[in-house]
Amino acid sequence: MDRQSLLPLLDARLPLTEEGVAEAARLAGVPLAQAWGVVRHYPRYRGLPQGRLLVDDPVARARGFARLLREADGTYPPMGLEALSPLFVRIEGKERYVEEGGRLVPFRDFRLPFALGQGERLLPPEPILNLRAYERVGGLQALRGLLGDAFSPHDLIQAVEEAGLLGRGGAAFPTHVKMRAVAQAPSPKYLVVNADESEPGNFKDRFLLEHHPFLVLEGALLAAHAVGAEKVFLYVRDEFAAAIQGLEQAIGELKEAGLLTKPTEVFHSGGLYICGEETALLESMEGKRAEPRLKPPFPVEKGLWGRPTLVQNVETLANLPLILKEGPAAWRLKEPKLFSISGDVARPGLYELPLGTPLGEALERAGGSPKELKAVLLGGAAGVFTRDFAVPLRYRERLPIGAGAIVAFGKEVDLWEVLLGLAHFFQEESCGKCFPCPLGTAIQVEMVKRRERSRALVHDLAQALKGSLCGLGQSAYWAYQSLLEVEDAA
Amino acid sequence: MRLNVNGQEVEAKEGALLLELVDVPTLCHHPHTETHGLCRLCLVEVEGRLVPACATQATEGMVVRTDTETLRSFRKTLLEWLALSTDLSLAPGLEELLLAYGADPGRWGEMPLTRKGRAPIRDNPFFLRDYAKCVNCRRCVDACGDGIMGVYALTLEGRGLLAHPTTPLDRPLPETPCVFCGNCVQVCPTGALRPLSLEV
Ligand code: SF4
Ligand code: SF4
Ligand code: SF4
Ligand code: FES
Repeated sequence: MDRQSLLPLLDARLPLTEEGVAEAARLAGVPLAQAWGVVRHYPRYRGLPQGRLLVDDPVARARGFARLLREADGTYPPMGLEALSPLFVRIEGKERYVEEGGRLVPFRDFRLPFALGQGERLLPPEPILNLRAYERVGGLQALRGLLGDAFSPHDLIQAVEEAGLLGRGGAAFPTHVKMRAVAQAPSPKYLVVNADESEPGNFKDRFLLEHHPFLVLEGALLAAHAVGAEKVFLYVRDEFAAAIQGLEQAIGELKEAGLLTKPTEVFHSGGLYICGEETALLESMEGKRAEPRLKPPFPVEKGLWGRPTLVQNVETLANLPLILKEGPAAWRLKEPKLFSISGDVARPGLYELPLGTPLGEALERAGGSPKELKAVLLGGAAGVFTRDFAVPLRYRERLPIGAGAIVAFGKEVDLWEVLLGLAHFFQEESCGKCFPCPLGTAIQVEMVKRRERSRALVHDLAQALKGSLCGLGQSAYWAYQSLLEVEDAA
Repeated sequence: MRLNVNGQEVEAKEGALLLELVDVPTLCHHPHTETHGLCRLCLVEVEGRLVPACATQATEGMVVRTDTETLRSFRKTLLEWLALSTDLSLAPGLEELLLAYGADPGRWGEMPLTRKGRAPIRDNPFFLRDYAKCVNCRRCVDACGDGIMGVYALTLEGRGLLAHPTTPLDRPLPETPCVFCGNCVQVCPTGALRPLSLEV
């Protein structure tokens, strides 16, 4: 990075004092005002809440939230791991723990169980945590091929295009289009791996980072070479402490083996849902409040520090080595996608399924029975409730699949309670930069609380939220609107 | 360069902002600050997409609609929400817009989070900071910082609906780099910042 970023400077000074903030601002070369705006934006600089906290996610909402909350001192936002069952975290001073089977596991040791669903898969069937193991399953062949001139950056982008890879972060933008734009842009340029997954009910990227760090890194290095990036940044959700450790170890191993072909660095994310929005992510890396930028210009033209930047989701990049290994045509036939399936199914976990798999079949894979379900939340907070079990899980289908979160709810679940959790989530996570979103998400909480079913009012709420600056506000009403449709159909 | 606005051919100079060519309400945009694209009141439709007129350049052959059913409903709702959450009594322009769009804030019931209860801050002899009236347009922050003064006596506190301007370390203004130039007061559209000389 060209400059010292403010966030790591602040992180190094936790818990913050006024002198600490002033010193960080000086070192970063920014006005104190900017540093203070940052401190008053990110939760961890305001001081962590303390005590036993209930992770407020859809599953906890479906399991008697009020009762669970009585056992807690407060709530904690979803972190992409909780969806297997309601989860408590404990925060004591600076230490953070996850409660797991009656034990307190420090964040730095907590990993998602390796629960990769059965079926034909491209992902290795066990965790691959060291370089030797990775090479044994054919790892690094693609990177070696690229470095050894077996194929060119152009060929790589061509293969991505032939494979038809769409971004796996939720927006489903064709990956090769972004890659080509950055490849053609002037240097210096950057690659940023968006590992800030915080969609409630989604835990696929966390899984990949924790169990397949080399696959993610190889994908990132391939992309960096393809577009001519000078440097790779992995922007990782701060809570994923075990993943960060594992990545750093993997980076070290690659370096030692002389295979870290681009400078690669982990950046601790700002720790907010909005940090996953690519321009807000870049703002936070530049040491500002994580607020989305107006587009255009897009990051491929003006990204990190104003330079062309390829921002890609973890799962998207992890597919690059797989595409080269399988061959684009064979990969395209399989079109693997990771789905986080949780809630009222017998075997919650991560499932690699071909795009186009019907929702009902995906649920059955995870031991769920559509007949016994009231509805499914498809796509996370920025998703929809549905009973359309025939819908193919595919991008640009009649229902959005987002990043691939599927939460199932049994017949006895009060979906309004789940919806209220989502409404709170949006209200809490709205950054407040544009006008419709902070106002609309606040009004929405009130409407959901009183179980407002007026079509006219919900329509106007939707209409106004659609005018928001970024996807957070623009999708904040989807779950609400879809619940009314599910009720109508029942 | 020619484009089509609400069915009419319009002639425009290369690089013109849509805002210079259409008549739409604005709130965050100000000719002397760099704030734009925040309030969304000036949204217009271009090929089915909503874009802010204050931050979008006109291009050859563009087809723009400024007064569709969708846009009217959008502006009406947004104004209603502003009226529910914020004290607009010193923002006559907004009060007029509420009337013009037939706004009925009461149809939404209560606003759970409201800015209205905030007490005015009197920390200097020149002007009042009355954030109960603040819509968080950030014009003042930009005027003080990057936009006009380069002084950086203002920044932002919080997120979501309760976000609003504050000073570095939340200090009283006289303890910040503020030089009391009054630019922030000049650009404030709602009377949230106003000269004390106007107070009775
Ligand atoms: S839509 Fe919400 S999150 Fe996005 S910029 Fe606006 S206030 Fe921020
Ligand atoms: S009066 Fe003070 S706070 Fe306002 S713009 Fe001037 S220097 Fe900044
Ligand atoms: S005080 Fe005035 S200028 Fe500043 S953000 Fe609020 S409304 Fe805008
Ligand atoms: S005036 Fe254009 S968005 Fe505010």
